[in-house]
Amino acid sequence: MQPTSVYTRDRCVTGIHGLDEILRGGIPYGSTVLAAGTCGSGKTTLGMEFLVRGALAGEACAHFTATEPSVKLLENIRQYAFFDMNMVDTGLINVFDMDVLYSWLGLEKASFDLDDVHALIKSIVDIVNTIGVTRLVIDSVTTLCYKIKSEQLIRDFLFTLGKKLATLGCTTILISEITSATENAHWSSFGVEEAIADGIIVMGDSERMGHLLRFLQVVKMRGTAHSRAKHAIELTPLGVMLIPMLKWGASNDNSSRWGA
Amino acid sequence: MGCLVMFELDQRIAEQLTQVSLGSSVQVRMSSSNAFAVTASTMIPLMQMFEMGGVYISASRGAVEIIQAFEAIGVDVSGIHFLDLVSSGVLGGTDVPYSNITFVDSPIMLESIMLRTLYTLRTVNNQRNFVFLDSVNALAIYNDDRMLAEYLHTFINTFRQREVLSVILNVPDQTPPLVLANLDTYCTDLVDRGQVVLL
Repeated sequence: MQPTSVYTRDRCVTGIHGLDEILRGGIPYGSTVLAAGTCGSGKTTLGMEFLVRGALAGEACAHFTATEPSVKLLENIRQYAFFDMNMVDTGLINVFDMDVLYSWLGLEKASFDLDDVHALIKSIVDIVNTIGVTRLVIDSVTTLCYKIKSEQLIRDFLFTLGKKLATLGCTTILISEITSATENAHWSSFGVEEAIADGIIVMGDSERMGHLLRFLQVVKMRGTAHSRAKHAIELTPLGVMLIPMLKWGASNDNSSRWGA
Repeated sequence: MGCLVMFELDQRIAEQLTQVSLGSSVQVRMSSSNAFAVTASTMIPLMQMFEMGGVYISASRGAVEIIQAFEAIGVDVSGIHFLDLVSSGVLGGTDVPYSNITFVDSPIMLESIMLRTLYTLRTVNNQRNFVFLDSVNALAIYNDDRMLAEYLHTFINTFRQREVLSVILNVPDQTPPLVLANLDTYCTDLVDRGQVVLL
């Protein structure tokens, strides 16, 4: 008897040590993935390594930074051995300051209306299309969406952006800042990002006897089977490294066990 | 200061090590009185006879103390990378004159220790590597028995899969029974110098 053939979606191999194993080969090509994490959990490093690994494979990559100026972002990321400034100089990784983009578009205002949101989507999509970007990171979608006051507009913005980028074959990581990464937390600031994203990667800290251990957990990824276990991560000069968290140490609430 | 201390290797350990292969997990039982002699008698042959390098995880004492103990018997360990789990807990303990030491915040950060070890192994150029864990009884001071047993199970299997020799030092009478039973089950070899023989 012949085995039934199983359709497998093409993957965007992240190149991040351990993450492709969790995702059984990588992120399904063209997905929009929310990387939601608390401060200091390694979101920006993960996003930047995702681009660097793509650039090393010859892909055109783009990073839109809304949380910090690009100069500061690049200075911070240069400490990592995996990052090579030549990738920026030669145009393999294109870094855009959102403030500069707002200025080009005449969007230097406190809040955006429907027309502004459409102008912003068009400009991002135009950049992706012009450069032929296949890997995109927006850091962070939380900061970006602060200017969009209506929940419906945020939903439209993210849905339309994700759809257009997928049509262009671009795999996107939307970085989201959250204040808690516990089981009951929302994985997004506005409550809509998580519903729209094809995948959700949660990053946070697990406290163990007063020490913080970084963790990463893929809670959703459409189009692929994946591990849903918590993984401990370490930000090393060679990039992000992951291993499964010890089962006896994975709980955020260790108070009963440790008597803390 | 500066003069070498006389040291006699336990040759039977070196002979026993000729029987192990990369991917083996050797439990080395020692007592609190012979800990360094047994450690040195295990590590020196691996470095000098088998030309191995790798990582030394120090949970029992600061890495500087261990390096200086080897220097005192004329053994250069500058090619070994030390992961020091002790000195971050001591004010000023991480200000050391050795570049082959990395500090981990605490012995309870077991996953960080594993990740740092794997990272170090990716950066070294040895043909054959070992990982010394010094010691299980020191980790048992800080970690829950079940978690430590799980960690050692993961530790042994991780390095076995990567063909890295794991050497796990242990003072048995200071180690919880559950952890000891796990070591006995999962280690492939045993070097037993943990018994005190009264003549």
